[in-house]
Amino acid sequence: MSDEAKTIARGLQKRDPDLLDRLIEQYQYRLFRYLVYITGNKERAEDFFQETWIRVLERGHQYDGKSKFEGWLFAIARHLVIDWQRSKNPQSLDTLTDPEQEHPLQLVNESESSPLQQVLSQETEENVQSSLGRIPAIYREVLVLRFQEELQIEEMAGVLSIPVSTVKSRLYRGLESLRGALQGGAA
Amino acid sequence: MNADLHARAEQLIAQERVEGISRAEREWLSAHMHNCARCAELARQTDQTLRSMRTAAISLPSGLASRTQFRVRLRAQELREREPKRRALWLACGVSWMFGVTSAPYVWHLFEWFGQRVGLPKLVWELGFGLWWTIPALFAAAVLLMESSRKGEQADWISQGS
Repeated sequence: MSDEAKTIARGLQKRDPDLLDRLIEQYQYRLFRYLVYITGNKERAEDFFQETWIRVLERGHQYDGKSKFEGWLFAIARHLVIDWQRSKNPQSLDTLTDPEQEHPLQLVNESESSPLQQVLSQETEENVQSSLGRIPAIYREVLVLRFQEELQIEEMAGVLSIPVSTVKSRLYRGLESLRGALQGGAA
Repeated sequence: MNADLHARAEQLIAQERVEGISRAEREWLSAHMHNCARCAELARQTDQTLRSMRTAAISLPSGLASRTQFRVRLRAQELREREPKRRALWLACGVSWMFGVTSAPYVWHLFEWFGQRVGLPKLVWELGFGLWWTIPALFAAAVLLMESSRKGEQADWISQGS
């Protein structure tokens, strides 16, 4: 168990408000981005963002500090989204994505490269983002967790509550789908 | 070139990025891509796609963190205020349970005596005794249910806001 995780676990047990303030600041970007990708809607992601932190406060005693905090945080967010999804429509996570509302994600390019490279990579990024929006949510989710959040496969299995082998197969299929969507978009 | 070789190369390109490959596999892949422009291009495109995913940014709504911090602090205060009430409820339940256990034989005799005196059927005064025994637990369960339903109503903002 890392010192950081231990400190967080102790603080959450005590519902330490300063620790929670710091965690909200620290993880705001990653959590919000994850929620935007799994819900496909920024307003909804904002609601879930706030509700996730309320849950962190209420269920903080359940975090034992044995795993990374972000894994636990993403798992809480994911369960909230799934619960909401089930209450709305008892189908898969995929139905969360409303294709009409999903595409206008406000993405900005953070890379620090030359203006020409920025234009070229922005074009690629836009392609990638719109292709991500076209692939099934279960694949988009694993791609985001692995390649944006850089979680290990075992950590992803914890977040998603699925076996490691399923995570891997979803990743392979996700990559394949993304490649297909990119080719389809470019055509 | 054999189609199986391309298929193997494609699989290794994905595997390398998902979970890593062995040194021997990397050497084989590298040699293959040296002679195969199509697979080399696939590897380049895959890397570019993943790089784009990593560098793509989403703009945060303004004040998201401060609004969330405010809500979390309010909820924390609410929980702190509720804590003594909850503790008192559990204490009352514990005391009531202990009292119920220790007094059960006496109360049983009391119910029996009263039942016989009034001429009640045995089943009726036994049922009365059962109710007397379960009332504190039912009361506690009712209070806890009321609390959780109130919490459920508070969480409804999510579905209303969507």
